[in-house]
Amino acid sequence: MSTTQSPTGGPSVPATASSITPRKRTFSQWFGDTGWRHLIGVAFSIYCIFPILFVISNAFNPNGTLTGSSQLFQAFGLEGFDRVLNNPDRPFWAWFGNTMIIGGTVAIGTVFLGALAAYSFSRMRFRGRRLGLITILLVQMFPQLLAVIAIYLLLSSIGDVFPALGLNTQLGLIMVYMGGALGVNTYLMYGFFNTIPTSIDEAARIDGAGHARIFFTMILRLVFPILIVVGLLSFIAITNDYAIASVVLTDPETKTLAVGLFDIVSNDRTADWGAFSAGALIAALPVLIIFMALQKYIIGGLTAGSVK
Amino acid sequence: MNNIRPETDETTPESKKSAQLRRMADKVSPNIGPLITKIILLGLFDALGVYALFLTVEAENWLFFGVIAVIILAFNWVYLRPGARPSKYLAPGFVFLLIFQVFVVGYSGYIGFTNFGGGHSVDKDQAISSLLASGQERVEGSPSYPLAVVSSGGTLGFLVVEDGKTLYGNADNPLEVVTDAVVEDGVPVSRPGFDTLKKAQIFADQDAVTNLVVPFSDDPNDGSIRTQDGQTGYRYVSALVYDEAADTITDSRTGVVYSDGGRGSFVSPDGEELKPGWTVTVGFDNFVKAFTDESIRGPLLEVTIWTFVLAVVSVFSTFFLGLFLAIVFNKPHMRGRKIYRTMLIVPYAFPAFLSALIWSGMLNRSYGFVNQVLLFGADIPWLTDPILSKFSVIGVNLWLGFPYMFLVTMGALQSIPAELEEAATVDGAKPWQIFRLIKLPLLLVSVAPLLIASFAFNFNNFNLIKMLTDGGPKIDIPGNVSNIGHTDILISMVYKIAFDGQTRDYGLASVLTILIFIIVTIITVISFKRTKALEEIN
Amino acid sequence: MKTNIRHLMAAGAVTLTASMVLAGCATSSSSDSTEDSSSATTLTVWVDSDRLDALKAAASEYSKDSGVEVKLVDKSIESMKADFAREAPTGKGPDIIMGAHDWIGQYVTDGIISPIELGDKAADFSSVAIDAVTYNGQVYQVPYAIENVAIMRNTAIAPATTPATWDEMIAAGKAAGKKYPFVVTQNGADGDPYHLYPLQASFGSSIFGLDANGQYDPKNLTIGNEQGQAFASWLGTQGTVINADISGDVAKQAFIDGEAPFWLTGPWSVKAAQDAGIKVAIDPVPSAGGQEATPFAGVKGFFVNAKSKNSVAANDFLVNFIATEKVQTLLFEKGGVLPAMTAAADKASSDETIAGFQAAAKNAIPMPSIPAMSNVWTPWGQAEASILAGADPTSTWTTLASDIQKAIDASK
Repeated sequence: MSTTQSPTGGPSVPATASSITPRKRTFSQWFGDTGWRHLIGVAFSIYCIFPILFVISNAFNPNGTLTGSSQLFQAFGLEGFDRVLNNPDRPFWAWFGNTMIIGGTVAIGTVFLGALAAYSFSRMRFRGRRLGLITILLVQMFPQLLAVIAIYLLLSSIGDVFPALGLNTQLGLIMVYMGGALGVNTYLMYGFFNTIPTSIDEAARIDGAGHARIFFTMILRLVFPILIVVGLLSFIAITNDYAIASVVLTDPETKTLAVGLFDIVSNDRTADWGAFSAGALIAALPVLIIFMALQKYIIGGLTAGSVK
Repeated sequence: MNNIRPETDETTPESKKSAQLRRMADKVSPNIGPLITKIILLGLFDALGVYALFLTVEAENWLFFGVIAVIILAFNWVYLRPGARPSKYLAPGFVFLLIFQVFVVGYSGYIGFTNFGGGHSVDKDQAISSLLASGQERVEGSPSYPLAVVSSGGTLGFLVVEDGKTLYGNADNPLEVVTDAVVEDGVPVSRPGFDTLKKAQIFADQDAVTNLVVPFSDDPNDGSIRTQDGQTGYRYVSALVYDEAADTITDSRTGVVYSDGGRGSFVSPDGEELKPGWTVTVGFDNFVKAFTDESIRGPLLEVTIWTFVLAVVSVFSTFFLGLFLAIVFNKPHMRGRKIYRTMLIVPYAFPAFLSALIWSGMLNRSYGFVNQVLLFGADIPWLTDPILSKFSVIGVNLWLGFPYMFLVTMGALQSIPAELEEAATVDGAKPWQIFRLIKLPLLLVSVAPLLIASFAFNFNNFNLIKMLTDGGPKIDIPGNVSNIGHTDILISMVYKIAFDGQTRDYGLASVLTILIFIIVTIITVISFKRTKALEEIN
Repeated sequence: MKTNIRHLMAAGAVTLTASMVLAGCATSSSSDSTEDSSSATTLTVWVDSDRLDALKAAASEYSKDSGVEVKLVDKSIESMKADFAREAPTGKGPDIIMGAHDWIGQYVTDGIISPIELGDKAADFSSVAIDAVTYNGQVYQVPYAIENVAIMRNTAIAPATTPATWDEMIAAGKAAGKKYPFVVTQNGADGDPYHLYPLQASFGSSIFGLDANGQYDPKNLTIGNEQGQAFASWLGTQGTVINADISGDVAKQAFIDGEAPFWLTGPWSVKAAQDAGIKVAIDPVPSAGGQEATPFAGVKGFFVNAKSKNSVAANDFLVNFIATEKVQTLLFEKGGVLPAMTAAADKASSDETIAGFQAAAKNAIPMPSIPAMSNVWTPWGQAEASILAGADPTSTWTTLASDIQKAIDASK
C-alpha cells in the first residue's frame, strides 16, 4: 500500500482548526456560529415530522380514519398494530422479510454494478464513453410505469422457461430492478470517483497491482461513503416502489411492504387506516435505522481524511 | 476534469515508465490470486448459463436460447482477454440494462403498433373458443341431465338419465336408450363393459370431458349434450359456428357470416364486430389516433407546459433547499447534528404515496388540518383551484424531494477537499464567496447529471399527482371525457387515457409513452451539451 | 505469445470449473424431480380480504368432500380487476375470481371468462341477482351476495325512523343538533355517483334505457333526459347539505364520532360503526323527487377463467357447492352479507341490518355491466360534484350527456 492512505479506523480523525474553539463564548458568538443552525434544524425537523404525526396518531387510534379528522391523538390503543401484525392472510413479517431481501439484494447489486461502471467511466478513456454515459441516463428516463405491460409479458415468458425467475418470484423482481442499476446512481458514483486523484492508481500500479486489485482493494475503500449513499438511495427507491412490484408479485406471501400495505387501504370502503399506519411506521424504521447506523460513513470524513 | 489522465495508450514519458515498471512487477510476482477468482467465477457463470441453455432446449424456446448463448459467449470473450478493459467493468450492468430497460422500451414500442388492449387481449384461438362458448344456447324447455362420464376402449361417452330412461352416447353416436346401466337415485352410476370416470379422473382429463359433444339425436336441431362439471349435462345448440376452412363464423340464428376483417376481429358485412377480438399489428393507427384524438390533443399544450414547469421548479426548489440544509449541518462538532439529519430524511424514508395521501387530506378545503387548524378555519381551495393546486403540488413535492437532495449534496460536499476551503479562508475569502466560487461549481460538476435525472424523475412523477390531486381540478373544456385536469402531467394524462375507466388501450398508451420518452430524450441531450461545457471549464 | 498461452489455459480452467459445477447441478437436480407426480387438483381463487374469512370455512369443507385443494389468495379488490385482465390472456391467473357483476361486460369483451351453466339452480337466486350476472343471454357468474346502499341511522341521536322524504330527513338531521345533519361519501372533484344514485332514481332518471331483452342498451343513453335534468337542478340546491369535500374518511369519522345522525352508505360500513360502539338501524333512502329512491344492486360472485386448467373442478365447486343454500347460509353467517340465493336470504333477514338493506333494495336494479358504463362513471361523478360546488346544473348536465355520448361513440 502506498503512503497516501491514512488509518481508516476512527471516524473523527481529521481535527481541523475549526474544532479547536475556546470553551467560553458569548451568546451572540455561539448563535452566529452554531446557534442559528439549531434554529433551522428545529424548524425543519417540525416541517418534516409534522405530517408523520398524523400517521403516528392514527396508528395508535383504535378506529381512526387517516384523513377524516384534523384532531391528533384523540384515542389510544394498540389495535392497529395487532391487526397488521397478527393477520395470517396478510403476513406482514413475510412482506417485511421480502422487502429487506429484495431491497438489500438490489441495493448491494446496484452499488456493485454501478461502481464497476463508474470506475471504467472515470478511469478509462474509450470510444463511446460519452455516448455510454448519456445512454444509461437516457434509458432510465423511460417511464417504466407505463411499460409495466411489457415487463409483465417479458417476465411471464421468462417464467415459462425458468420458473424461478418468472412472475411472483423475488428473483424476477430483483432482476427487473437490476436493470436500473446503471443509471442515475452510476452518475453519483462517477462524480465521486472523479474526485479521487489518479495519482493513487498510478502509485499502486507501480507497486505492481493489477487493475482489478486496484479497484477492489483501494478504490472501493476510498469511495466507501458514496457506496453507502447509493446503497441507501436504491434501497429506499426499491422499498417505495409500488407500480412494478404490484404487477410482478401477486401472491400474499411474496409481496413487498409497499404492495401489501397499499392493498390494506386500496378499497375506500373497507380501508383499515389504523392497521396501515401502524404497518407504515414499522416499514419506515429500517431505513431510519440504516441511516442512523451508517450516518458516520455517509457524512464521515473518509475521503476528506485520506485524499490529499 | 483535467486531473484525470487517460490510462491506456497515451504515452507520456512518465506513464511509459510506469508501464515498464508494471510489466516488470508482473514478471516478478505473477498475480495468481485474482486469476483463480476469475476462473472460478466465470466457471460458475458458464455452468449456470449452460444449465439455462438446457432448460431453453427443453422448453423449445429458441429465442431465449440464442440470447443466453450470446450472453455466455460475450462474457467469456470479455473476461478472458487480458488487460484493463472498460468492457470488463461495464458488461454485467449492461446485460441487465439491455434486457430490462432497453428491451422493455423496445417492446413497448412494438406494442404501440398493435391493438393490444381491452377487447383485443387474447390470441385468435382463444377468441374463437370464447365466441363459440358464448354462442352455446340451451335448447328451450330441455331438462338437466344427470350424467356420468364413462369410457370404453379409450372412447369417452356420456351416460345420462331422462324421464327414468338411461341413455348412452358418444361423440360419433347419438344418445340411445340402454337397459343394462345401473342407476341410483335417478343418477347414472355405471354400465357393464364401461369404466365410470371418478371425479379425480375427470379433473385430470378435463379437456376431453368438456370438449365432448354428444348429439342428442340424428337431427342436429335437437342439439347435443355437453357438461361443465362432469355430473350434469345440458342440451345445447350452437348459435355461432366456426368454419375453419373459410375462417368465418356464422350466426345460425340470423345467417350472418362474420369474417376475419384483418383488424383482429370477426366482422359482418355491415361492419358489426364480434367481441372478443384478438391482438394483431395495426401499423401506425395508434400514432394517428394519438395525434387526432381530441381528448388528447385538446389539453395537451397546457399539460405539457405544466409538466415542464413542475419538473424544473421541483428540481431547483428541492436542490437549493437540500443544499442549504446540507451546508447548515456540514459543521463538525455541532451538537444534535445527527438527530437533525435523521429528522430531515424522515420524509424520504416514509412511503411516498402515503405522504402524498396525508398531504391531500391536510389540504382538504373544508376539513383539512391546514385550513382548519393552522389557518383558523380559512376556506382556501388548496387542491381545487386551477392555479393554487399547482402551487400545492410544487409545495408538497418540495417536502417529498428535498431530503434526497440533502443526502446527495451532503455526500458531495464531503468530497470537496477541506484544504480548498482552508486555503481560501487564509486568502481572506468570505464564506459566501467560498461557496459561490469554489464549492458550488465543484458541486455542480458532480451533481449536474443528478439534477437532470431528478428532472426526469419529476417529469414522470406519477405517484405525486395520482395521490395528491389525481390531476384535478378538471380542465373545463367540452369533450374532456378523459377528465384531464389542471395538475395532470404527461404521464398521468397517458395513464388516464390508457388505463383509467375507459377501455384499456395498451397500444395507444405505448405510443404516448414512446412520445414522452422522445421528449425527455431531446431535453436530456440538450442539457448534456450544456454540462459538457460545464465539465470542460473545470 | 506468453499471454496467449496463459489466456488459453484460463479458458481451459473455466471450462473445467463450469463442467464440474454442471455435473454437481445435474446430480442434485435429478433427485428432486419426483416432486411433481403427487399433484392433486388445486383451485386457485382470488378473493378480496373482506370475504376471505367467510370463504375459508366453505372452502375447507369443499376440500374435505372432493379432495380438491382450494387455494384462496387475498387480493385487493381495486387491483384484482385489472390484474385478472392482464394475467388471464397469458394463461396465468387464478381459476376462479370473486368480483362484482359489473366487471362482466369488460371480461366478456376480452374473452377471458367462460359462461357458467347454472341450469335449474338459476331459479333459486333472486331475480335481480340473475339479471345482474346475465350478459348477452349467458350467465357468467355464480352470485354470492347482493349489496346496495341505504340510510344508516344512529339510533342514539336520530329520530325513531328515517322520514320518507329527503327534506324531512334533512330537517330531522338538523334537529338532532349535531355537526352534520347527514353524511354521504363523496370524493372531492370526482364526486361519487354510486352513492347519490338512489336520489337520482327518485326523479325517475336512469343512465341507459333497456332493450327488448330487458338488458341495458348502450345505444339508448337516457341520462340527459328531462328527469335527469330535474335531478340536476335539485342537486344544485343541495350544495350546503351534500358537501363534495366529504371523503369516505370524513363521513366515516363523523358518523362514528356521533356527529352525524344519518349516513347514506352500504353494508360494508356496519362493522366500523358497531365497532365504535354505535347502535345503528338501516332504513330505505328517502325520496327526493317523489318516486321511490331505488339504489343500484351490486352482485358479488365468482367468475371462471376461460383458460383455467381446472375448469371442471371450478364449475363443480361453484355450481354444486357455492350455489347451494347450505353454503350460501354459511357464507352469510361468516360474512354478514345479504345472500343472493332466495332461501338463504330469507334466513338471513332475521338479522335486522340485513333486513334493512334488503328492504331498501326491494326494487333495486342491477348496476349496468355493459362496457359502455366505463365511459360514464367518472364524468358523471365530476358533473355532480361541480353542480354541488355551484356550477350551472342545466348546462353541466347537458355537457355531461353529450360527453358520454361522444366517448361511447369513440370507443366503438
